[in-house]
Order: sequence, then C-alpha cells, then structure tokens
Amino acid sequence: MALFERPPPPAAAPQTTAGSKSRDGGTLSGRTLVRVICTAGSGALEYTHAFISAYAADHLRGAVAQRLSVGAYELLSNALNFGSVSSDIVLELIEADTLVGVRVSNEAIQARISMLSEHLLKLRSNAEQTFMEELRRSVTGGIPRPMLGLARVSHEVGLTLELQIQDRRVTVTAQCRR
Amino acid sequence: MSRFAAVSVPKSETVAIQLTAPNQVKLSGTITQKDPSSDLAGFFKALHTAAVADKLTEVRADVSGLTFVNSSAIRLFVDWATWVKNERSQRYTLRFITSRNVTWQKTSFAALMSLMKEVLAIEQVT
Repeated sequence: MALFERPPPPAAAPQTTAGSKSRDGGTLSGRTLVRVICTAGSGALEYTHAFISAYAADHLRGAVAQRLSVGAYELLSNALNFGSVSSDIVLELIEADTLVGVRVSNEAIQARISMLSEHLLKLRSNAEQTFMEELRRSVTGGIPRPMLGLARVSHEVGLTLELQIQDRRVTVTAQCRR
Repeated sequence: MSRFAAVSVPKSETVAIQLTAPNQVKLSGTITQKDPSSDLAGFFKALHTAAVADKLTEVRADVSGLTFVNSSAIRLFVDWATWVKNERSQRYTLRFITSRNVTWQKTSFAALMSLMKEVLAIEQVT
C-alpha cells in the first residue's frame, strides 16, 4: 500500500552520516516535491516507482529524471527487502537550488545497517570497481546474493549516495545536479 | 521451420516482447517486477535453446526501447550471456542493440561486454 501526500517542511538533519564520494555536495536540504509513505506489500515497489518516474519525467530534465528513476527504484527496493516490516518506508523527491535527489528512509536491524554502511564505504572508495565486482558475482552466482542495486545508483547513473542513521532509522539519499 | 521464431512469447504488463526476425527479439518498456525471472528467464532460456537448435551464428536482442530495468533484470541478461559462454557445441554471438539515449544501457552493457567479450557484441542506435 502506498500513500501519496503533500509534504511538511524539511526535517532536521539526523545524527550519523556516511556515504559515497560527494561529487554533488553534502546533505541535500531543500523542498520536498513528493513524499510517498508505503509499507511492504504487493505492488508497493512497482506502483511507487512508476509514479515517481512519471513525476520526475514531467518536472525534471530527461537525463536527470532517468537517473533519479533508477535511484528511486533501487533505494525503495532495498528498503522493502531489508527494512523492518513493522515500520513505514518514506520516499521523498527533493529539490534544492542546484541539486535534486531521492531520499528513502526505513527502520532496519543493526546487522543490516552495518552491511549497508560497509557497502556504501566500498562504493565511496571505488564505485566502478564495486559495480564490476557485483556484476562479476552475478556471473558466477555469488553468495551472498550480489548487491548490484546501490552500485548501479552510484556508478551506472552517477548519483551521490549519502547515508544517515538515527537509532534504527536509516535514510539513504541519492542526489545529483539538476 | 525456425525454432527461434516459434518460441512462445510471454505476456507482461510493462514490457512488450516481439520476435522480429528468425534471430531477433525486441523488448521495449520497463522491467520492474521484483522477480522478473518467473516470466523472462524461461523465455530467454527457450530462445537460447532454439538458437542452438537452429545453429544460429548470431542472436540479436534489441533492448533499445527498454527505458528502465531493475538489477534483477540485468542478471537475466548476465545469465543469457553465461549460457552462450558455456555452450560448447553451437556457440553464437549474442548481440545487444542498445540506445545511447538510455542511461542505464550505456554502463551496464559496457561492463557486461568487458566480462563476456568472447560471446557478446554491443551495437548502439540512437
């Protein structure tokens, strides 16, 4: 199930941050264009992604909209796959003066948060190499399952990833220049 | 009769699939299903098996109209290339027709090409 609503003003910045190399500025703070609140369930990923993609295509440059479409899908997919089922997942499309991005927040257990932090550090160190490693693991059927999603976001469509952690709440932002 | 052309095409809400020649399949739209393998993996495997049976030297997969795919779908293309690579008796070239205007295609297929260059070819259209 997904709920589409008019967003309130931007929230204060959470506590802990980490993320991929910041080619496109620090923490994205600006106007929330769209906020979607969803819970795990049939169609939550596909319908929300379709809505966000259509909105981005209508409001942003074509190439930027395509990049954010990939970001929105992979971030939401991760939240649905790895997040706690008991809490809401919030997806926002945010624009600032020079930046635009998609932000997804969810709750997760500590082991998942640690895995995500580690993966983002690898991406920060070398996004292309990490992407190739994950693709190679897809070829060889690697265990654990290849984590291609965030590598695509960082390398394939070149979005800067930022991670913020507050207790069990994880917020990942994927952003680029407008 | 071409076995390739006789392969049954799955129906999907988001992706249109056509067999446009005895060695060509065209996909357009988006692949966003959480597990696209339930529909598409069997179809790609059937195309591969038919291509081997038909003794094709090249199979063309036109993905230029695929504007978005998730990472599970990328793994399907990886799987297809792996089947070709592992084929001993009748290996063919798997040629992906891609669009230079679709962001995800540029990086993903270039990366896949670097891992499987002995069986893959990439052709860019506008």
